[in-house]
Amino acid sequence: MSLILSSLVFTPLLAALVVLVMPGRLQKPIKVVALLGALLQMGLAVWLYTRFDGSAFANGQTGYQFVEKLRWITFSLGNLGNFQIEYFLGVDGISVSMVLLTGLVGVIGVISSWTIKKNIKGYFLLYLLLLTSVMGCFLALDFFLFYLFFEFMLLPMYFLIGIWGGPKREYAAIKFFIYTLVGSLFILIVMIGLYTSVIDPQATAWQLKLVQDGMPAGTEIILQVQQMLQDNAIHATDMVRTFSIPAMMEADNFVPDSLLHTLSGHQLWNLPLRFIAFLLLFAGFAIKVPLVPVHTWLPDAHVEAPTPISVLLAAILLKVGGYGLIRIVYPVFPDGAAYFSVLIGGLGVFSIIYGALCALAMNDLKKLIAYSSVSHMGFVLLGLASLTTEGVNGAIYMMFSHGLISAMLFLVVGVIYDRVHNRMIQNFRGLANKMPAYTTFVVIAFFASLGLPGFSGFIAELLVLVGGFSASDATGMLPRWLTVVAVFGLLLAAAYYLWALQRMFFGKFWLFPDLREKAVITDLNAREYLMLVPLALLALLFGIFPHLLLDKVGIAVAGFTELVLQNGQDQLSLILSSIF
Amino acid sequence: MNEQGAFLTQSINAILEGAGSLLPELMLAFFFLLLVTLDLFRSQAIKKLLPWLALTAFFATLLIQILGGYTSESVQFLNLLRSDGLARYAGILFSAAGIFTILLSLQNKQLEERQQGQGEYYAFLLMLVLGLNLMAKSINLLMVFLAIETVSIASYILTLTLKEKGRAIEAGLKYILYGALSAGIMLYGMSFFYGLTGSLNYTSGDFWFSLLQASPLMVTVAAILVFAGFFFKISAAPFHFWTPDVYQGAPMPVVALFSTGPKMAGIVVILRFVAAFSDPANATAFADVQLFLGIAALATLFIGNFTAIWQQTARRLMAYSSISHAGFLLAGLLAFGTSYTTSILFYLTVLLFMNFGVFLFMQVAEDHFRIKRLADFAGFGRAYPYVGVMALLFFLSLTGLPPLAGFMGKLLVFSNLWEAYGLSQDKMLLALLVVGILLTGVALFYYIKIPFYLFFKGNYTDKNLVISLSDKLLLALFAMPLLVFFFKPDLLLTWIEKLLTTVR
Repeated sequence: MSLILSSLVFTPLLAALVVLVMPGRLQKPIKVVALLGALLQMGLAVWLYTRFDGSAFANGQTGYQFVEKLRWITFSLGNLGNFQIEYFLGVDGISVSMVLLTGLVGVIGVISSWTIKKNIKGYFLLYLLLLTSVMGCFLALDFFLFYLFFEFMLLPMYFLIGIWGGPKREYAAIKFFIYTLVGSLFILIVMIGLYTSVIDPQATAWQLKLVQDGMPAGTEIILQVQQMLQDNAIHATDMVRTFSIPAMMEADNFVPDSLLHTLSGHQLWNLPLRFIAFLLLFAGFAIKVPLVPVHTWLPDAHVEAPTPISVLLAAILLKVGGYGLIRIVYPVFPDGAAYFSVLIGGLGVFSIIYGALCALAMNDLKKLIAYSSVSHMGFVLLGLASLTTEGVNGAIYMMFSHGLISAMLFLVVGVIYDRVHNRMIQNFRGLANKMPAYTTFVVIAFFASLGLPGFSGFIAELLVLVGGFSASDATGMLPRWLTVVAVFGLLLAAAYYLWALQRMFFGKFWLFPDLREKAVITDLNAREYLMLVPLALLALLFGIFPHLLLDKVGIAVAGFTELVLQNGQDQLSLILSSIF
Repeated sequence: MNEQGAFLTQSINAILEGAGSLLPELMLAFFFLLLVTLDLFRSQAIKKLLPWLALTAFFATLLIQILGGYTSESVQFLNLLRSDGLARYAGILFSAAGIFTILLSLQNKQLEERQQGQGEYYAFLLMLVLGLNLMAKSINLLMVFLAIETVSIASYILTLTLKEKGRAIEAGLKYILYGALSAGIMLYGMSFFYGLTGSLNYTSGDFWFSLLQASPLMVTVAAILVFAGFFFKISAAPFHFWTPDVYQGAPMPVVALFSTGPKMAGIVVILRFVAAFSDPANATAFADVQLFLGIAALATLFIGNFTAIWQQTARRLMAYSSISHAGFLLAGLLAFGTSYTTSILFYLTVLLFMNFGVFLFMQVAEDHFRIKRLADFAGFGRAYPYVGVMALLFFLSLTGLPPLAGFMGKLLVFSNLWEAYGLSQDKMLLALLVVGILLTGVALFYYIKIPFYLFFKGNYTDKNLVISLSDKLLLALFAMPLLVFFFKPDLLLTWIEKLLTTVR
């Protein structure tokens, strides 16, 4: 068993421990340790990405690679049988792109944090903890482990916004914390429902002595256990209930009389309980994505957070929401995914349009970009709801590409804020005259974000829209007009970016009089180049050679859509038949 | 005459046979008397010895109960007290709570500075824990009443330890008035039960069989009356009104004890009491009692969590936090048909460490830095990062966030509720589950207030004061189990399970 995934998760934690024992006055060394931790994580992520075999799923393997699986917590609860929590990590095509993104952005974030002045030790300690928990989220295949990392993410974030943030930081921090905690509580309710209903066929086979303890059970044994389970032939005390997400994905692992079994026929407010569970889980991750109308924490958090934390928030934390939908919500409840596809696609499109309209109305450049994030994450939902291979590929591509581009956008805002301590659009005119290099990068970031061909954003939007259009024929999930409406989002994006560009950068140089005293208008320095150039190159690279990502992702996505569609239709008809 | 004589011998024999099972209680009683006697001497050397004697007593009872073996399985003492695994585990928790209380008291400035009454303070701690042990063992309604009164009387006196402070008098008076009222109501309810069944032995089959024959309305009324007394002890609504005042007036170690000891004992009494309700065969007959308990749990959860939001002092905040935890425990008790006892005991164990940790932190802040109101905490955590981080751990564990044991406790309780809902499809259980989980969001809002002030606000300049090493070590002692029981809860769960199944 290789330990590559554990090293990926815990490298920053190790660095954090080193930082913890260092005295706080050693500011430079602390920064260097943090940078080394992030660089090491990035190195591992890149190595993993190149070594990851994108065609594995097609060869009939399970799809998860570099798997690490250890028994962690097992206990028996009387007549409910045994409970099992595993330390279960693995990558597949869906997570490998997010791992790479986290590695890259993690390093950019450290470089961007170089100018932090206040309490360096505490800052980098929390920063590294955040990197560990995000990476853990993307690699965990056990729901409990996932939830642990998912919840633990909130804490460093809360302090990073609340201590190092802008003037209204305290309000923004608490709003962020409560909002996302409520989201994870929805997830917790469903998690409890799931693990009490799902058995691990492998461990149950051991319990039933069908296979020798510790030996892997073959496919026939697994099928036999599942058949026995569905025939009520396994006594409750012999069942091993599990948090394992792959086990939850198979309907045959659900205990027959449990509430979340497809045939339980259990309803609440005239909705099958599985649908309610789906909606709760969806809502939990939608807050994180964030989806309109539960997005209101995002602009506050973004505006108040220091630049590197904004970068991290936009580039990787939001992705955890989208990733959770793909990793957990859709495969575990494919019936709900099929039943509510129009609702989800509709919310996605609504986010695209609403976010773009809000962005158009903002005077604060950072808020504008925050709303553009909301708008772009709407594409992820649209692509996912279509359940076509193009659409889901597009959703993942969008998450990856938005990770690179939004990092760039927030860095660009940080550059001007560092110099003028203000970022209201109307306070600037003609910056291009004074800061030509800076303006170049702003233009690149803006155009990449609005989907100019040649940048990664274009590929993502194209795939999502193609998926959306074909969905009505191919999968029957979405009506065509929804995607037509989404196209207007592109138009609006062009409008708000170009308008902002025109107002701030073109024309004769002018600065709002009150700002002139403190402002030091200089062009980019070396550190800023170091952050912006790689990001711009990466956006370009993945815009010109999409196969770099699609080769790794494609086959996993094909498997994902097939599974969700197939199981979705089957289970949906079972659920509906058990009720009516 | 002969008959009387035979009866007497029989009784004496029963007492002698059963006495062995009461070894922990006998030891506590012995040390109580010893402390009271030694307190009569004026010698300073002896006075200094008293806390350590009390500590010895608690350590001895803790060890005896962990090792076990002093009693054969399931001995009943005169149909009054039963020493089973449940009582043994509860006894371990009580002894631990006693030890922690003394450790906190030794660190407490105000208690140390007091001229007189040292001995009686520690003596009454012993008496209180003795009462708790008896509560956990009682299987007879009258015995329950006596045990609860023993605890109450000790509590009243301990509340008034610092009687020079104005708050203490107010707290003590409120406590006694509410205590007397709820005791009266409980006794009234017990008399109903006796009238309905002709027996006080509430765990026996006859008792419940007679109740099934009786009018359901009468049974419900009697049960509600009896629960008044239990609810008072665990500070559940609507008998929670004394809690904030007492928490404000009593010395900090005593508050920490009140927030754990009587709550644990009360929960154990309720555990025994509702055991018969949980029998699925009787479910329909006792539906009203379950409904009442469910409503009480919901009310307690709502009152505890929502009132806590408005509190301005740390002590009152913790009072409402303690009420909300009573609500969670009550909710957990209703998961009939599942192994809820294990989960509840796990939750209680975690609660013990969390609460003592928080109260030690508050004691340090109050004694050395005169911090009372929440806003006074501003900048404290920045000046003393170690203490601040420890406080953060305790508050997050109280909220129920991973990676801390408070999360595990809640996860277990809620898992039981879900399972019970699957069995009975009772909407009340689902309501408890959903309300309980969502209130965690509210809980975060008030628990995070103190860390918020600790780290986000102001700058604490008063750096001359040093926090003693023993305080720091104690904080770590309370924090360690929270991490251990999150990452390896099976260590504790298997042990509880073993105790519950073998000694029954």
